[in-house]
Amino acid sequence: MRITTVRIICQSVLFCVFLALSLLTTFAYLDSLPGLKLWLSKFLEIDPLIAISTAITTHTVYKGLLWSLVLLVPTLFLGRFFCDWMCPYGSLHHFVGWAFNRRNTKHRIESNRHRPLYRFKYYLLVALLAAAVLGSLQIGLLDPLCLLHRSVAVSVAPTWDMAVTAIERGLDVNLSTWRFRLDPGVYQLGWVIGAILFVLVALNVVIPRFFCRSLCPLGATLGFFSRFSLWRIDRDPDRCTHCDLCLRSCEAACDPQADLRKAECFVCFNCVEECPHDALRFAFVPAGRREISGTDVAGRRAVFAAVAGFLFYPFARASARTKRDFSSKAIRPPGAVEEQEFLERCVKCGQCMRVCPTNVLQPAVFEAGVEGLWTPVMNYRIGFCQTSCTACGHVCPTGAIQHLSVAQKLGAGPHEQAGPVRLGTAHFDRGRCLPWSKNIPCVVCEEVCPTSPKAIYSERMQLAIRDGAKQVVAAGDRAVTLAEQPRPGEFVAESARFEFNQFAGDQTTRYFVEILHADGVREVHPIASNDIDTLLIADRWHQTPAAGETAVIMIEFRVPKVDVSRCTGCGLCEHECPVVSDRRAVYVTAEGETRSQHYQEAGRNRSVRLLQSSGAS
Amino acid sequence: MTEDHDDRNDHPTRREFLRRGGSAVAVAAGATAAGLLLYDPTGKRGLGRPAPLKLKNYFASIDYGASEPHLSVARGRDVARMVSAALEPMGGMKRFVKVGDVVLLKPNVAFDRAPTMGATTSPALVAEVARLCRQAGAKKVIVADNPIESPEGCFAKTGIGQAAREAGAVVMLPSASHFREVAVRDTPPDAGRGEILGSWSILWPPLAEADKVIGLPTVKDHNLCYASLGMKGWYGLLGGRRNQFHQAIHEIISDLGYMISPTLMIADGTRVLMRNGPTGGRLQDVKAGNTIVAAVDQVACDAWCYENLLGRDPAKLAYLEMAWEKFGRGQLPHRLGQRDWQDYKRRGLVAEVNV
Repeated sequence: MRITTVRIICQSVLFCVFLALSLLTTFAYLDSLPGLKLWLSKFLEIDPLIAISTAITTHTVYKGLLWSLVLLVPTLFLGRFFCDWMCPYGSLHHFVGWAFNRRNTKHRIESNRHRPLYRFKYYLLVALLAAAVLGSLQIGLLDPLCLLHRSVAVSVAPTWDMAVTAIERGLDVNLSTWRFRLDPGVYQLGWVIGAILFVLVALNVVIPRFFCRSLCPLGATLGFFSRFSLWRIDRDPDRCTHCDLCLRSCEAACDPQADLRKAECFVCFNCVEECPHDALRFAFVPAGRREISGTDVAGRRAVFAAVAGFLFYPFARASARTKRDFSSKAIRPPGAVEEQEFLERCVKCGQCMRVCPTNVLQPAVFEAGVEGLWTPVMNYRIGFCQTSCTACGHVCPTGAIQHLSVAQKLGAGPHEQAGPVRLGTAHFDRGRCLPWSKNIPCVVCEEVCPTSPKAIYSERMQLAIRDGAKQVVAAGDRAVTLAEQPRPGEFVAESARFEFNQFAGDQTTRYFVEILHADGVREVHPIASNDIDTLLIADRWHQTPAAGETAVIMIEFRVPKVDVSRCTGCGLCEHECPVVSDRRAVYVTAEGETRSQHYQEAGRNRSVRLLQSSGAS
Repeated sequence: MTEDHDDRNDHPTRREFLRRGGSAVAVAAGATAAGLLLYDPTGKRGLGRPAPLKLKNYFASIDYGASEPHLSVARGRDVARMVSAALEPMGGMKRFVKVGDVVLLKPNVAFDRAPTMGATTSPALVAEVARLCRQAGAKKVIVADNPIESPEGCFAKTGIGQAAREAGAVVMLPSASHFREVAVRDTPPDAGRGEILGSWSILWPPLAEADKVIGLPTVKDHNLCYASLGMKGWYGLLGGRRNQFHQAIHEIISDLGYMISPTLMIADGTRVLMRNGPTGGRLQDVKAGNTIVAAVDQVACDAWCYENLLGRDPAKLAYLEMAWEKFGRGQLPHRLGQRDWQDYKRRGLVAEVNV
């Protein structure tokens, strides 16, 4: 079997593995297969760029990121084989270029020559690492594994789910095993992420492996480490006739026809197979002469790139959104670390958004500042934080969202003293709330509030109904007959006209009648039933109403309030509120989050109540 | 670029093999070592903040007798003479400030108000105390506060900035980088006993540098806690989200008294804001108090001023009771916190003089 065939099999298998793991990163599958949980973010864990850049920002190597040595060490000996043997994004580019960039041999050869443009990825890498040195992690924007995971989560998987759903409806079949979520996920401004994926992949039609050659910071990292490699493609000058046919299928544009650029070569073996004179082979430490070992970048431009990276940090942080002017909508997932530490860790991979069972995690636009682009924020119109779910922390590769046990999240058992993890606090907009402003009984929010005792509680309030003021005509032991209040100049008041048992009420809503006696005494009684003009009260009058006195019919229902010491900011209330626009009657903001409660600086601390951190009970 | 006619040495020399192989192995080893060194198996290693810093007890080094005056009141109109007269029964400033000491003066500069409004400490008092400290041999006198309003504006409008500089003191304006987490108590706070603060963001550099701390509070009405006196004055050392403390103001004020044990308190009763505190703004709310009180016991000082300058009953001021409970009953060494100042009077520990 030819080595390129082996490579193609390897690429295909690993691409399918990647896609499967990505699609399986859902709540339903998280615990379904033993050990699967450990594999779901494995591609991210072996990414040395994620490990190195988070080591720079956090001075630690978080848990599974140690696996990146499994890729780094072979790269040191074998070169940049990852790019064409393992990388799923590289395989995608390779496939699209192969399928759609059909040209004749001469054009193909020219398109695979090395260009100065391909140095750009090194400058990009330098800029990204410079920003990381100061504490802003932005490699996730262009790292291929982060990009691909994010694009799959936000665009590809929903497309897949929508397609499966459409087929199910169209053909009236059950394809639920092919749907990885119950409903296709939605992601705010997700089309931008999908468009970026599409454009970058589409560019292969113009320049083969455009992303891999000129933008990929992981490729630049692996290229840097390739300088030490002991094996590489070597050209025998005696056999070589300078036909340049090796360039026809060269994936990396690494100049196999001249001095091999080791930092570029993807070890795809296409040149070895193309060469009609067998002049190329993958050899063990040949003499260093017929190669360019290093990355071949201009030192001064690298310094300029570093300056750009260094400037990014203060330019971004001085823009207020991270600290003092933090958006009330920048609510982070449970288990998230404090914001500045979060921005040192989040690689915008979208795994948390993918696994979240309620689809509440969304890629931020600028809610958390420019540094927070595509980092996860909660959107309680779309979802809510499921009470006993801690899935996001289990798939986060860098610890931006920490592993939480359910007991920790709920503040139960050994964690009762510490209290629950709070994401924010709910607030009522009384002008929009149905009971508060529209006399319509509701309290769905109280019903769904998951804390025990509930953070949303209701108080009984009595309000006069519309046109509730009537005039007493006559009264008995427990009854009172009413008429409309006379209009100016009227002698005989119009009789009241009620619907039968209009005021009988139910368990949620009760009606009362308040009598204002002529001597100024007031009494209030619950209404048991009524007919067309007479009310029957449930108890007895203290003082029988006299004709001409005023009776006011009142509705009593429950109005909701928030107990800030119990609210965890889970957003179930906002999600279920029947006032369904984006301005809901109850809404959650980031104040009161526990992740920043121990941080003292005014801009970093978002507590509401002084004693919030002590145990809820 | 291409070198076709090179020597046909397709096998590396041993030296080259060792060099290149060695570098690859070295980088691999280095990467592995770095990875293991930085390895964070629980995910918690990279998080968290440094341990809080601890404040000194600024009274501990003062050798003060139990029968010496704990409260000293001077009445008059000349601030300089009143300060000296108040300190004289206590042994003068040299009793508290030793040669070579760095002294921190903590006046009330909270608002952008003229000194006649009684909302801030009189600049004449700040200048006189600074002068006396230098006379007693202080190496450096620092004047610092973290106002609610803009520091530069407040230090200028209150006259305290200029007065301090003219008296040879250094004004330290607060900036965000000056605040550090400082431990208030060693055990976690027990909310049931009115303990709120475990640690808090405090204006650190002047407190760290100082050997002695002298509180220079003004005496004024306060809309929420009824009076802003000496213990309330330590609020001006707080940073962070101190705007939450109003939710438990008496617990916090007594915690502030617990947090810091000052060398001396010299309360400014020359102009007393009787109503509309703490900001004030009308001259008709200001009474001429014509009093300066020096004290080694900040709780007694507060109680005396509340009763004799504001004309209110200290037994009904909750934070005095709480301070007594937290550190006033003699349960801590080198800490005084007697809220019943009449007790000092009965024991002859209150000096009063007119100048």
